[in-house]
Parts: sequence; C-alpha cells; structure tokens
Amino acid sequence: MSSLNELSITEASKKLATGEITSVQLVEACLAEIEKRNSSLNAFLEVFSDAKEQAQKADERRAAGESHPLLGIPLAIKDNILIEGRKASAASKMLQNYIATYDATVIKKLKEAGAVFLGRTNMDEFALGGSTENSAYGVTKNPHDEKRVAGGTSGGSAAAVASGMALGALGSDTGGSVRNPASFCGVVGLKPTYGAVSRSGLIAAVSSFDQIGPITKTVEDAELIFNTIRGQDPLDSTSIGMENIKLQISNNKNIGVPRKLLGKGVEPEVLAQFEHSLEKLKAQGCEVVDIALPALDYALSAYYIINFAEVSTNLSRFDGVRYGLSLKGESLFDDYATTRGEGFGAEARRRIMLGTYVLSAGYYDAYYGKATAARVQLRKEFEDAFKSVDFIATPTMPYPAWKVGEKSDPLAAYLADIFTVTANLTGNPAISIPMGTVEREGKQLPVGLQLTAAHGDEAALFAAGKLLY
Amino acid sequence: MLSREEILNLAALARLKLGGAEVESLQKDISNILEYVGQVSQVDVEKEKATPFNYNVMREDVPAPTLGKREELIKAFPKEENGYNVVRKIIQKDE
Repeated sequence: MSSLNELSITEASKKLATGEITSVQLVEACLAEIEKRNSSLNAFLEVFSDAKEQAQKADERRAAGESHPLLGIPLAIKDNILIEGRKASAASKMLQNYIATYDATVIKKLKEAGAVFLGRTNMDEFALGGSTENSAYGVTKNPHDEKRVAGGTSGGSAAAVASGMALGALGSDTGGSVRNPASFCGVVGLKPTYGAVSRSGLIAAVSSFDQIGPITKTVEDAELIFNTIRGQDPLDSTSIGMENIKLQISNNKNIGVPRKLLGKGVEPEVLAQFEHSLEKLKAQGCEVVDIALPALDYALSAYYIINFAEVSTNLSRFDGVRYGLSLKGESLFDDYATTRGEGFGAEARRRIMLGTYVLSAGYYDAYYGKATAARVQLRKEFEDAFKSVDFIATPTMPYPAWKVGEKSDPLAAYLADIFTVTANLTGNPAISIPMGTVEREGKQLPVGLQLTAAHGDEAALFAAGKLLY
Repeated sequence: MLSREEILNLAALARLKLGGAEVESLQKDISNILEYVGQVSQVDVEKEKATPFNYNVMREDVPAPTLGKREELIKAFPKEENGYNVVRKIIQKDE
C-alpha cells in the first residue's frame, strides 16, 4: 500500500469510513512528509502544532457517529484565509504578527465538516504575482524540479498537495492563482463561478475577481471540497445561491477553442499536449470547434488595469493605525508612508502606484473606464459563446514552470496570465486539469488543460474533467 | 517615460515611502506597463455603456452578531490604553 499521505481525499475518506485508518494516522503521515520536504520546498509558512489534536477530535466525532467525506481529512490553507486565533499574514511583513479574530466562512464550513488544518501555506504577498516569488518569506519551490517555481499565487497550497504533504488545499484565484500553480505542480485547481463561494474572511486582493477554490489530486476531490464550501452567505453580498442560475443542459459536449489566442506565445510542446487532450475528448464523443472571441485581445490589459485599481484601493486599509505593522515617522503622513513603504514588498508597492495612476483624475476614463467596458464586452462574448459550446478549452499556462528568478521583468510575468485572467473578468468557473508533462533539462514538468464553463456550471467541469483525469 | 516628479507625486498620493533606487526602476517599469495596458484605449466605450451587469444587493437593517470579539480586536491595536486605540494627535495649533 502506498503511504497514507499519497492517498486522494476520496480514497482516504473511504478508508476512514470503514475504520481501516484513522485521521491521526493520516495527519501523522502528512506531518512526516512535511518534516522531510518542507525545509526545501517552503510550501508551509507555519505547521499548526495542534494538527494531531484536531485529528483526534475528528476521530472522536466519527466514533460518536458523525460522517462527512471531509471528516478527519488533513488540508493545507492559504495564508490569506482567516482561521480564528491563528496567524494570517498574506505572506506580507505588513501582517507578520496578525492573528485572525474570526473564521472565514469557508473555514467555518470545513470545521463543521470536520476537516483538519495542517498549516498555512506560502503565497505571493497579498496574492499579487504568479509564481510565489513575491512572498516576504521566500520562494516556494516546485516539487518536480526544485530549481523552478511552484506557480502562484497559491504556490504553497499546490506544492503541498503535489508533494503529498497535504491531501488537499484551499487557494484563492484572482487572475489564475489557483489554476496557475495547479498547472505548474501537476494537480487539479478550480476557480469557481464568481459568487459561488463566500469571500468573507479572505484577505481581499481584487474584490471583483477573487474566489476561493480547491487544489486537489483528483477532479473528484475538487468537487468534494467545492460542494462543502459553496453557498450564499449573508456576510458576502456578492455571493449567490447557485440554484438561481438557469443552466441549459446540453447533451452534446461541444468544446470551443479560441485558436487565434493560441497562435502567439504558447510553447510548441505545451500545444502538442493540448491537442492530445482534445483528441482524448473527441474520442469520448466531444466535438471541438473553433470560436472567435474578439474581446480577448484586450483581456490582459483590462484585467491588469482593474487589478491595479482595486489593489491600490484594498491595500489602502493597511496604514499602521488599527492593526498590522505600525512604524512611527515625524508626522502622521510619515507614519503612513513609512509603515506602508516598509510593510509592502516591491510588487505590492508597484501595483499600488499603478492603481493610483489609473484611478487619478484625468486618466480614469482612459484606463479604468475603458477596462470596465472591455470587461462588459468580453462577458457578453462569453455568454454568446456558451449558447453554442459547453466548454472553452485552452492550455492553463503557455509554458511549464519557469526557473526561480527567470522572470524579473514584471510585465513579462504578467503576460504569462493570458489564458487564466478571462474567467476572472467574466466570472465564469474554470478548472485546470493535468494534461501531461514536457521535458526541460531532464526533468518532466507538468502542464495543465484549462476548461471554462457557463456561469454556475461547475458540474460540467467536473464531468469533463473526470473523462480526462 | 514618467518623470521622477510624477513618480514621487504618485507615491505621495499612495502614502508610500520609496527607496532611492526604486524611483528610477519604477519610472521604467510603470511606463512599460502603462504602455502595454493602454491597448484598451481601442475599446468602444459607448457601445457598452447601456449594459451594466452589476446590481445592488440590499438587506434589512437589523442587528446581527459581529465578527470577532472586542478583546481580540483590541489586542491587534499597535498601541492600546484602557481598551482604546492610541493614535497620533492630528489637529495641530496654528503657528
């Protein structure tokens, strides 16, 4: 039998239900793997000292007759999701000693289900980046090649799952932050429909894009976590009851591919794996058609303008007055500027500056106004596209994981998000599923297939995902 | 390229103290990024104005439990006195 930490959630859940294993044994197996690999991978920023006690409680709950598929399952939680009484730093110096005073809604739901929290995982500071190189606490390394990044911003969560340090994890996705590291680490990552999962207790990056999503070893596991954490929440007015969304269920599995977008920048071996996945879907009875989405030309620009604008607004709350880092200067202005200058890392500072620029009088219409219009246009094009296709398929990332430090130019790093940002602009659900590997310097590096579905149609993503993986 | 003064003005608006060498690198990076995202200028705004997809979500104005206990919130204050947050005096006498 393989080690317990290598089990999928679904497999472990069955064994827990039959009494073949206990949650304590599962947690011990994960902790042993963390002990072995975390010092080199840097996936966990903190491993909770009471993980085993949580597991004991889960075992007691099971003995008392409770049963939930996640009861006793050890999970890793991204460092921007609040767990009452524990640190949540968003991988920033600004919140180095911040202790959460309440549970995020997703955490409340996972506690009710009986999940065990192993620790908090590394990320790009305040979820700004795409490689976990912007963490104030060091880079997370890719388990498949430690010279390379794990992706980001939920790099710690993806690396933890891929290396068997956790059975599953929560990440958050603003422009691909769950799907990108899932692709780079060879695991499954879901960005739910905007509003499907409550954002209460998620440290905000871009409020109109952010969604919490699962990172898991299998599609089935992602479905399990998603079904546990979803649902309308009075604490997040943007959350929606999925039952309100009318789906047009189609029996034809039509897959649209925006060929024009694949023309530029995708590495040939990634494209080859992508074509191979399409062939597999065709063999399962799917039909693949070419679709045109003209507004995609502006997607990346619109995404980044809105990102900068909302980031500069959301991060303005960190001023050293009520909580977090607080440094004194010569004046009140100086208190703010010193605290923020020291507390934020380079990428956060850059985006705050860019957001301040695009929102300033005189530039607002040219940038933010136009970006909002492009977003509406793209959303309409997606709605139209989903009248004739059930999925839109692309590679998740144009290339496999890059080497640590390779993308030092910020704009070059932004361009890697070309396929992932659209689902955040339009609010559609999207999933990254492993589609094979490409070889780089003798190492096999995973690459992911991204499927996007109509609003509220996560079920279609899970169904298609299970055909492939 | 954005001038040094423009960068310093943005930093003041954003309440950010920048390192010396950072001003120069931001001049370059911000200009490059703005040039790229400036592509959106080609989007036809008029065409889209009439179709917002956002709507307001209202709720009844009734009391509900708040998140977080008072004692725990107080613990996060940078400086606390008798359960109050101590902040810098912001109203100064005219000179």
